[in-house]
Amino acid sequence: MAVGAYTRPTRLPDALAALRDGPCTVLAGGTDHFPARVTSTPDEAILDITALPELRGIRRLSDGGLTIGACATWSAVIAADLPSACDGLKAAAREVGGVQIQNRGTVGGNLCNASPAADGVPPLLSLDAEVELTSLDGVRRLPLDGFVLGNRRTTRRPDELLTAIRIPPAALDGTGRFLKLGARRYLVISIVMVAGTLVRAADDTIASARLAVGACSAAALRLRELEAALVGRPLAEAAATVTAQHLAGLAPIDDVRADGEYRCEAAAVLVRRCLADLAAA
Amino acid sequence: MPTVTMTVNGKKVSGEVEARTLLVQFLRENLHLTGTHVGCDTSQCGACVVHINGDSAKSCSMLAVQAEGTEVTTIEGLANGDELHPMQAAFKEHHGLQCGFCTPGMVMSAVDLVKKKPKASEHEIREWLEGNICRCTGYHNIVKAIQHAQQTM
Ligand SMILES: Cc1cc2nc3c(=O)[nH]c(=O)nc-3n(C[C@H](O)[C@H](O)[C@H](O)COP(=O)(O)OP(=O)(O)OC[C@H]3O[C@@H](n4cnc5c(N)ncnc54)[C@H](O)[C@@H]3O)c2cc1C
Ligand code: FES
Ligand code: FES
Repeated sequence: MAVGAYTRPTRLPDALAALRDGPCTVLAGGTDHFPARVTSTPDEAILDITALPELRGIRRLSDGGLTIGACATWSAVIAADLPSACDGLKAAAREVGGVQIQNRGTVGGNLCNASPAADGVPPLLSLDAEVELTSLDGVRRLPLDGFVLGNRRTTRRPDELLTAIRIPPAALDGTGRFLKLGARRYLVISIVMVAGTLVRAADDTIASARLAVGACSAAALRLRELEAALVGRPLAEAAATVTAQHLAGLAPIDDVRADGEYRCEAAAVLVRRCLADLAAA
Repeated sequence: MPTVTMTVNGKKVSGEVEARTLLVQFLRENLHLTGTHVGCDTSQCGACVVHINGDSAKSCSMLAVQAEGTEVTTIEGLANGDELHPMQAAFKEHHGLQCGFCTPGMVMSAVDLVKKKPKASEHEIREWLEGNICRCTGYHNIVKAIQHAQQTM
């Protein structure tokens, strides 16, 4: 595409051909795109993907899994009929900006923008989400933690489009939670956020749990050691299972919102709170 | 330059715009509908809120060409001739504004709220307005105005 050009294809193959054709900037809801262009309007070719019907919609698959179109808005996530494992994802959707941002901003945009503070990433990590990347060569699927690498860095090739996010059937059991700490209640960038899902066994122990912490490392992180330690523990002891060692992988930065030490402490509090809440659910 | 066609306040309009023209620029500069304000450059303040196919959205964070084929309603489209929309009347009656800069966006967000959640509690009203920032009022009278409009809309 030529510099300064704008195209809004209605068929996926046309969009993929445009991407293959040369560098262009993908535009979805625009809620990360426009605020990043305040001081400069780069000469770029824009590929608007909001008219591609394939990228909309949230559907259950025949295998029992869930697929979320990359261009599904946060409002669509809130309105969708989803199993309670997705309660954390819904709670995160309600935290993304205000209503007008949720009406336009998309799940795919949140992931591709790859901000360490992206509220969508921890809940999707806690749901074992995979991303579906499509190019003219075909489709590849990657686990989400193999996609978002760090601040503004993903493994998407320039000729690929993120087309969908998939949640496997096994991850849809149990209940989900999302907790966000910001400097105030509303319209705020996260200092720390924690997402978790938990499946209880019949004898009131933990059958499985998945936890992820955001804004405390370049990319949000799963707490796999803690998850392993939780299996088989009584529900009532879920929060008490957390040790400093379980959070040792976090490497938060100091910035205007909080210093690293505070973030670590806050992460530990939120992880325990999240587990206590899940165990009581 | 691309041509864009949309329905604004019930009237079909079209114009030639540079692709990078924001919807809010198109409304203000091409259509001279200057009731939609620009209060920030970070998509935070909500002064630019309009309705796109009935949902409130920030017109500073989309391109005019992205509104192709849509129904757009701006603050100018609410009143019926000289008769204010019930939400506008409620803002006037309850002093839901001081300088008025945020008001068009506030009113557009509020109208969407009352349509989607007619029985919203005070807490829900405040929550819904998180993307609309007012420099002057402390929000108190804005919330009162919306509660009044819940009865009259
Ligand atoms: C006032 C305000 C408050 C906000 N608050 C929050 C918040 O609380 N939490 C939070 O997480 N975010 C927040 N955001 C950021 C933003 O709204 C979200 O990240 C949103 O989900 C981005 O989606 P979008 O569709 O608008 O992305 P866009 O701006 O359209 O795109 C974002 C990036 O992703 C790329 N991209 C988008 N879709 C694809 C795709 N399918 N394939 C390949 N590349 C793609 C684009 O090229 C661009 O680089 C806020 C933004 C604003 C303006
Ligand atoms: S001008 Fe659109 S949010 Fe401030
Ligand atoms: S009345 Fe002045 S900004 Fe709201």
